[in-house]
Amino acid sequence: MKDRLGYVRRDSWIHRLNPTLKLAMLVLLLTSILIYPSWRFSILLLALVLMGFRLAGVSLKLTRSRTKFVLFFSLLLLMFQVIITVNGVVLSYLIPPLGGFGPYFPVTDYGLQRGLAISTRFLFIVLSSMLFVSVTDPTLLSHSLTQLRIPYRYAFALVIALRFLPLFDSESETVRLAQKSRGIAPSVRGFRKILRSIQYTFFPLLISALSRVDSLSISMDGRGFGYTSERTYLRRSEWRALDSLFLLLILFLFMTTILLSLGFLPELARFL
Amino acid sequence: MLEGRRISFSYDGRTRVLNSADFRLQRGEVVLLSGPTGSGKSTLAKCICGFIPRSIPGVFEGEIWLDSTDTQSLSLSEISRKIALVQQDPDSQICTLRTSDEVAFGPENFLAPPEEIQSVLDSSLTSVGADYLADRPTYSISGGEKQRVTIAAVLSCQPDFMILDEPSANLDPSGILLLRRILLELKEKGIGVLCIEHNLDAIRPAADRILWMEEGRIHADSPSKSNQTSRMQDLTQPRLDGRTLLMASQMTFSYTTHTAVENVNFSVKPGEVVALMGDNGSGKTTLLLLLAGLLKPQRGAIQIGDVLAGSLSKSEKARRVSVVFQNPNHQIFERTVLREQNLTLEALEMDDAEHLEKSASLLLKAGLEVFEKKNPFSLSHGQKRRLNVTSVLAHQPDLLLLDEPFIGQDSEGRQFMIEEILQRVSAGSAAVVVTHDSSFAVTCCTRIVFMQEGSILLDGVPEVVFRQLGNIGKSEYLPEVSE
Repeated sequence: MKDRLGYVRRDSWIHRLNPTLKLAMLVLLLTSILIYPSWRFSILLLALVLMGFRLAGVSLKLTRSRTKFVLFFSLLLLMFQVIITVNGVVLSYLIPPLGGFGPYFPVTDYGLQRGLAISTRFLFIVLSSMLFVSVTDPTLLSHSLTQLRIPYRYAFALVIALRFLPLFDSESETVRLAQKSRGIAPSVRGFRKILRSIQYTFFPLLISALSRVDSLSISMDGRGFGYTSERTYLRRSEWRALDSLFLLLILFLFMTTILLSLGFLPELARFL
Repeated sequence: MLEGRRISFSYDGRTRVLNSADFRLQRGEVVLLSGPTGSGKSTLAKCICGFIPRSIPGVFEGEIWLDSTDTQSLSLSEISRKIALVQQDPDSQICTLRTSDEVAFGPENFLAPPEEIQSVLDSSLTSVGADYLADRPTYSISGGEKQRVTIAAVLSCQPDFMILDEPSANLDPSGILLLRRILLELKEKGIGVLCIEHNLDAIRPAADRILWMEEGRIHADSPSKSNQTSRMQDLTQPRLDGRTLLMASQMTFSYTTHTAVENVNFSVKPGEVVALMGDNGSGKTTLLLLLAGLLKPQRGAIQIGDVLAGSLSKSEKARRVSVVFQNPNHQIFERTVLREQNLTLEALEMDDAEHLEKSASLLLKAGLEVFEKKNPFSLSHGQKRRLNVTSVLAHQPDLLLLDEPFIGQDSEGRQFMIEEILQRVSAGSAAVVVTHDSSFAVTCCTRIVFMQEGSILLDGVPEVVFRQLGNIGKSEYLPEVSE
């Protein structure tokens, strides 16, 4: 089995939190970090997410190659910001003065802050979504969404997406191997060649996805999906006291970031 | 009783896929329906279960009676409570992430109370011998287990009739034995089962009757066809000249969670046709991808000809070794059949007149030249599979690696592939074929390699390997003696 994107079953209290609450937390946290783009605040939230991985017993290593890519990309974002931002107090130079040569590329405190703000936000968005997907049982999520009067046809779409995500992931790997075995090398030389590379990857995946959609809809309709507007559930999500506590916490945090971003809490803003 | 009367259907209003087909199916009866690809078997299944004409458009004529009710008056959900369909690919039908969720899915939709769901869930899983899977994630179970889960998932809706489309396609021999037992169990429960199947030998022992479908019509009692292959010794005169095409030594490959191939030594010489056999999950496909140089072993080395595989360029590797993967959709890239056929020649810059001519003749032989201008994705499964094979042969590779090429093939398609493989081999190449088809192994192969848990357990000429398999209690792999 390859690295798999998706739900990782463990028995932690984070796993046991109500799925809709977790979805709400994700959405509110992502909104907070977008409306209040401070690097200290982002680092704080990022630390919380990393702690979440740890507490949930979900290893970041499970998706090693992806994690590497994400880390690399966020570093790239940081470097880019540092290089293009020249205002602020100069801390040092990327290329120090050597004889008559340099100094080039000043590193300023402002550039560093902007770089950190962007790269940590990027990391937070990716990692928090990864954490959400790995600790949320899709079946329970769909049940808890129906509790909010969302029709189960829509709630179930999430389950399907999470069920098929890893499948498409492994299919794209097979398509890549098949291309290689036919002597097709992905090429970026020239517009036509790029188009071709895209076609060679997306056609097989699209066709395979469409044929899966056909089988899936027959399989679901054939088992009474949509029989009535209601359905029963063998496994149900629950709402516990801990969920209420977290709901209060997240609402408090969200309100605070709104106030912060509107400039109402200057005393706190000095630290965040 | 389930009865179809003069069923005709056409997708486009012109060509009739079904042409006045009649059939009857009693409760507690297992009926096997076979016939060439494209004869309308799967279409018939969709008619019986009500998807045609309700959700798939086309011109439908005829009547389907369920006991004394004309099903035309019923809704899709009403029909599906009585007649269940299990389609071909289990992976596309499973819609949840846990086995128990999957089996509970039907009864939940039909508003069964939770206590009742739990009890049909348990009994359905028991009927297919899969109690132990209840709590397992659906993505981490084997192909055979998925197949059983899809059967349990419709069984839990407590249908009177069940249609199974190619249930044996992805099963290894022990999975097929289990499938036969499940069919008998369904029969015992009083369910009427219609089993659509190319591999007659797989299901025949459990069937009460056999129907044969051809050109949209059903004939009772088939001609006694079987997947026995006539001997083709004249074609397989191995030219063992001592050269080694490929040699792998002490190869180990692990995925993140488990080791798929461990310490494998393997070599192929020109003129050899090797059947690579073993249970599902024993590492056959991974070994094939390693031999093709598509995966890199963590330990060990592969030599292609006289050079290390690692030092060959990608296109040189592609020129020497051809691979046919399992799913035809994953290996078709072009917009027309002709372009697809010549794609490898172009990619390898071998599209000279001689090779193009060879390529065209392959297409002709496969009966695909009439589709030259058509989109390859619109071909039938069997035709796509043939195109997969012909499109990797034109550049005359030294080594052919095929992963389960015969699945879903009728006897004609199977014969075509065998001939192409043997022809290539008699011209000095070699072939390694992953297959469960022991009749192919015994009649066409010079050697069988049997894998178990990532290692090679047996390696030798077919007669010897089959004898040893019998000795170690794996008699389900032995070719069935024709009556």
